Amino acid sequence: MAPEDGPKIILESMKEAGINFVTSLPDFNLAKLIELVDGDPEIKHVALCREEEGIGLCTGAYMGGKTTAIIMQNGGFLNSCNGLTTTALNFNIPMLLMIYYAGDIGDEGFSTLGSVTEPVLSGLGIRYYVLRKMDEIKNTIKGATLLATDSRRPVAVLLTKNVLGTRR
Amino acid sequence: MKRVDCLKAIAEETGDALAICTVGGAAAEWNAIRPGDGNFRCRTLGLVSSIATGLALALPNRRIVAIDGDGALLMNACGLPTLARQSPANLIYLLFDNGIYEASGLRSTATKAGADLIAMAKGAGVKNACWASSVEDFMEELKSSVTRKAFSMIAAKTERGIEYLKSWRRLPSFQHGEVENGFRFMRYIEKTEEIRVVPLPGPRN
Amino acid sequence: MTRYDCLKGIASEVGQSLVITIGGGGSTEWGAVRPGEGNMRVRTLGLVQSIALGLALSLPKRQILAVDGDGALLMNLCALPTLAREKPDNLIYMVFDNGMYEASGLIKTATGVCADLIQIARGAGIKEAMWAPSLEDFRDKVVTSMEKRKFAFIGARVESGPEYIKQFKKLPRFDVSEVESVYRMMRYIEKTEGISVVPPPGPRN
Repeated sequence: MAPEDGPKIILESMKEAGINFVTSLPDFNLAKLIELVDGDPEIKHVALCREEEGIGLCTGAYMGGKTTAIIMQNGGFLNSCNGLTTTALNFNIPMLLMIYYAGDIGDEGFSTLGSVTEPVLSGLGIRYYVLRKMDEIKNTIKGATLLATDSRRPVAVLLTKNVLGTRR
Repeated sequence: MKRVDCLKAIAEETGDALAICTVGGAAAEWNAIRPGDGNFRCRTLGLVSSIATGLALALPNRRIVAIDGDGALLMNACGLPTLARQSPANLIYLLFDNGIYEASGLRSTATKAGADLIAMAKGAGVKNACWASSVEDFMEELKSSVTRKAFSMIAAKTERGIEYLKSWRRLPSFQHGEVENGFRFMRYIEKTEEIRVVPLPGPRN
Repeated sequence: MTRYDCLKGIASEVGQSLVITIGGGGSTEWGAVRPGEGNMRVRTLGLVQSIALGLALSLPKRQILAVDGDGALLMNLCALPTLAREKPDNLIYMVFDNGMYEASGLIKTATGVCADLIQIARGAGIKEAMWAPSLEDFRDKVVTSMEKRKFAFIGARVESGPEYIKQFKKLPRFDVSEVESVYRMMRYIEKTEGISVVPPPGPRN
């Protein structure tokens, strides 16, 4: 499995996990994945202007019977904290948070953002799994989606450049 | 219309104005055109208008220019009514709308799908808000804004795409990191405004 | 014109529509004029339109109504261009603009000073956005949109203030907590749509 195939495998895994409603806001490293999601006829994709909207959209779509995910950068995750707390956590709404991990080990220019990401997820009580290996993509995404459904809470998967095929 | 040509016009017309600039290409180009400590590089998408408003209210006698992009403004459209309520007379807000998230993978923003940021600004209560249709027009509007002495917002639809992206990626990198840039910016304000911004550190221990 | 009268005017027309309301006076009043399982009260200021949009997109045959306020909408203007891009024909979005943060101390919002929400929405690309100048017109707009299955974005400027608040505080309290109300709504959706929303718990161990 070559890292360039990462976005394709991530999308396949999301679909195998049953995800059929996706909201997104781009990061450079997520562009390929979002493009694939956007072009997939089996997934309804909504492009956002601010990430917190995505928490609301996923909540509404969940109530309408969809299995949902939001694709965003970790800066966008920080933008969503109120919506995550007072809507998703408060009402027991499951959703998969696909978060690009800017400032991860080996990245440049986002170290502050990187350093607060995991503590904030923990602080909100959101369980998270860091994806660094290609051969773990499928199990992690499917497992995280199942965990979200079972725990009735958002669950996060932190996507790194290793699996997005953007490590230079 | 190229953003870089409009930025040259800004540098010409606004002299030693303090500039708050969004991330990505605009910051790289502005830095190349008007290097120096009077430029603050905002790192939070959407906060250019808020930071610039705060600064303009704190320094009412200083010209402030805000340089923002469509993706960033869309992220904090809530800032528009706040900006309209305050309307600092010493602030000129310049918006470059290329319809894409230029630095994050070239995907379309909502302006590509029909959102009109100047119409939204007017709706929010900004009185002097307009689109510039050419670089000359941009220059004219900018000149009137400088003489008007009332809060103004000028927007321009600018070139997009991978070729343009490559052109600004070749520009020289910044001389200082963003944190040092922040301190240099504040020291520059202290010097030119003859005020104290950053207090002395606490007593020696 | 008051929000209560507007809501009372449409309550008997909405049938089995699912109704997403912002917390505070709007949800109390709606709960009084149309109690039942098809109502959700939102806790996050600004997310009414996003939740309603998500629901409308996932249940395209069901009529969805959203009841929002100016303070809440101003908190998430970013969602307007998103709404403009989707515009599902089974969604009617209503915003009651009283120019103040009614539930948080009656302080003026930006619409009480300078902002025009309908103009902002149009700027964002929602050409259908309109003010309803009277009770009759409000009811008419809602009923027509439901009949014709057309997306609608309706604003109503309404009165509020200390006296008004006293009135809606006298309305009956909710019969169940907000969390239970969401479960109840999801079961109601399951029953009326013939779909599964909340799967049964995992296997016993």
